[in-house]
Amino acid sequence: MTEKKTLFQKIWDEHVIVTSPQGEDLLYADFNFINEGQSFLAFDQLRIEGRESLRPQQHLAITDHYLPTKNRERGPAGIEDKEIRNVVEMLANNSTDFALPHINMNHPKQGIAHVVGPELGFSQPGMLITCNDSHTATHGAYGALAIPIGGSNQLRHVIATQTVWLHRPKTMRVLIDGTLPESVTAKDVILTIIGKTGIGGATGYAIEYAGTAISAMSMEARMTICNMSIEAGARIGMIAPDETTFKDLSNRLMVPKGADWDKAVAYWKTLPTDDGAVFDHEIRIDATEVAPMITWGTSPEDCAPIDGLVPDPASFADVERARHVKRALDYMNLKPKTRFVDIPIDRVFIGSCVNSRIEDLRSAAAVLKGRKSVVPGMVSPGSTDVKRQAEAEGLDQIFRDAGLDWRDSGCSMCNGSNGEIVAAGERCASTTNRNFEGRQGRNAMTHIMSPSMVAAAAVAGHLADIRHTFDTPSSFSASASAVRN
Amino acid sequence: MQPFTVLTATAVPLEIAKIDTGMILPGRFMRRHRRPGHDYSEAFLYDLRFDEKGHPRPEFSLNQPSYSKASIVVTGADFGCGSSREGAAYAVMDYGFRALVGPSFAEIFYGNCLQNGILPVVLPELTISEIWEQLRAKPGVELTIDLPDQVLIDADGRRHPFDINPLRKDRLIHGIDDIDVTLEHKEAIIDFETTRRKAFPWLPTSANI
Ligand code: SF4
Repeated sequence: MTEKKTLFQKIWDEHVIVTSPQGEDLLYADFNFINEGQSFLAFDQLRIEGRESLRPQQHLAITDHYLPTKNRERGPAGIEDKEIRNVVEMLANNSTDFALPHINMNHPKQGIAHVVGPELGFSQPGMLITCNDSHTATHGAYGALAIPIGGSNQLRHVIATQTVWLHRPKTMRVLIDGTLPESVTAKDVILTIIGKTGIGGATGYAIEYAGTAISAMSMEARMTICNMSIEAGARIGMIAPDETTFKDLSNRLMVPKGADWDKAVAYWKTLPTDDGAVFDHEIRIDATEVAPMITWGTSPEDCAPIDGLVPDPASFADVERARHVKRALDYMNLKPKTRFVDIPIDRVFIGSCVNSRIEDLRSAAAVLKGRKSVVPGMVSPGSTDVKRQAEAEGLDQIFRDAGLDWRDSGCSMCNGSNGEIVAAGERCASTTNRNFEGRQGRNAMTHIMSPSMVAAAAVAGHLADIRHTFDTPSSFSASASAVRN
Repeated sequence: MQPFTVLTATAVPLEIAKIDTGMILPGRFMRRHRRPGHDYSEAFLYDLRFDEKGHPRPEFSLNQPSYSKASIVVTGADFGCGSSREGAAYAVMDYGFRALVGPSFAEIFYGNCLQNGILPVVLPELTISEIWEQLRAKPGVELTIDLPDQVLIDADGRRHPFDINPLRKDRLIHGIDDIDVTLEHKEAIIDFETTRRKAFPWLPTSANI
């Protein structure tokens, strides 16, 4: 009898070159994405050591974190901040020096690495993909084993050897069965999961998301789920490839063509977890009970359904948790027992690698159509391709008419590396994935939620329950069901 | 990489949980080149150490003179959570710390520390609280961390064994870099690659677009 294996185990085993006597595996990286981040530290060190890239064509550098989302036509000269301009130029120079392909600021495919990679078809089932970014698990939505690596030492190692040393994680399955209620999205599902595991709860595990709710999801929604695996503590999050995956991949640029395509699909179909394979840990979520979620604190686990109240630190039995909640509420300037829907906001942000794809923009636009945002805000599409598509559909006009800024693509206000930050003391309803202290700017307060919930908050001027905010949501309900799929 | 064997040094208590990488190295410092003499020591926990006007917060432990020589930090749970910014480990190192002691560390940060010659030591929460008390009672007191023996000796002389991956331990003790180790397997890597490309000829081998 052959051994029953999980999706994760199959791909991991396929990539082990050697195992050290201490039990660490040397894994082959089929492909590596590089962002500007701290990568200059890696390149500086490689230069000092006189090392080169072993397989330059199996890397793609993408400028995303530091690019301002306006004035692109002027090139680097249009970047006002000298330090930011410097970081952008460093990645261009380092890519040239090490002969690595690079999507720079004015490239027609520019965007956030975790949007662009899948969009171009680089991220395929069965591949081992690395990137110097903690949200690399996003590519796992395609049934790839996508692993975040450190921006300096591990990246240096992957560039020099096309491999990475890793300890095999344990396996966890998150089973989400049932149909999601109206207006409930993938973002609400992953926040529900994180609320359950806590921010460190999946540390040391590779997560596989499965169940009928996942099977019913679009690739965009699956990427939203996998993206936030790291917020539960897991570096790896993945979903078995299926017909939805193959259909999505079929017309992407980098995927196999002709006879190779058929061979690839046949191989990809062998990847899903075998019946009877055992996971080290399993969590079950009832999809029918998931509600629209928001975060109220300074960690993604500080989340709750929108129709609730700000928690009271005194209500937590765990001392450490109570202390965190108190500190979080101080930072967020919130009083216990306040209704979430009574929390006023100062600004909105729609963008980031978790929720900036075309489907996300459609769902926000559906809410904003014919309505005004009462607070300022900006929309940054996940890639230049997404931007073009949104403009072709007239979504940009809907956002502009609502009073929001329509920008170029990049990480932008997700972490403010590019200088676009939420001002101190401002409260932002945001489609992003992190709400740590200072994440969007010093003393900025972040509430994470889905794109449609951000749009609802923009119109209401306070956190709002998408299910009860608008009485005649004719354009909305059509799209809400699209989002659920 | 600087080898780590036995360290006896002043320890400073940092009684906060969930110190994330954005607090350790605030985003606005990450744009800086890191060179000798212009490193990340200034950036380390900047917003905790200084107020809005840039004045040191006197109540913050790291600002207190008795802890000024510390090379060990004893911290709350989940230190290093947040984004995988490796500069956070450099900030810890540049500030002068060789070891971190806490109930838990974020996984990526933990690995980054070991790669940079910093030893993170995981001990039970109760032990951490006891050590905090010792450090508060006798500010400036020393702890000993013995990596070969995998034991921390607290200010009262009590021994607390800790776990560490044997491979990481070995490389940390000898200060050996990962690439050196990997290149001993270069032939195996090339063979593996050749076989893989034959089996899966469609895998991207050109990323020029
Ligand atoms: S969008 Fe945000 S979370 Fe995603 S890669 Fe960029 S900075 Fe990181």
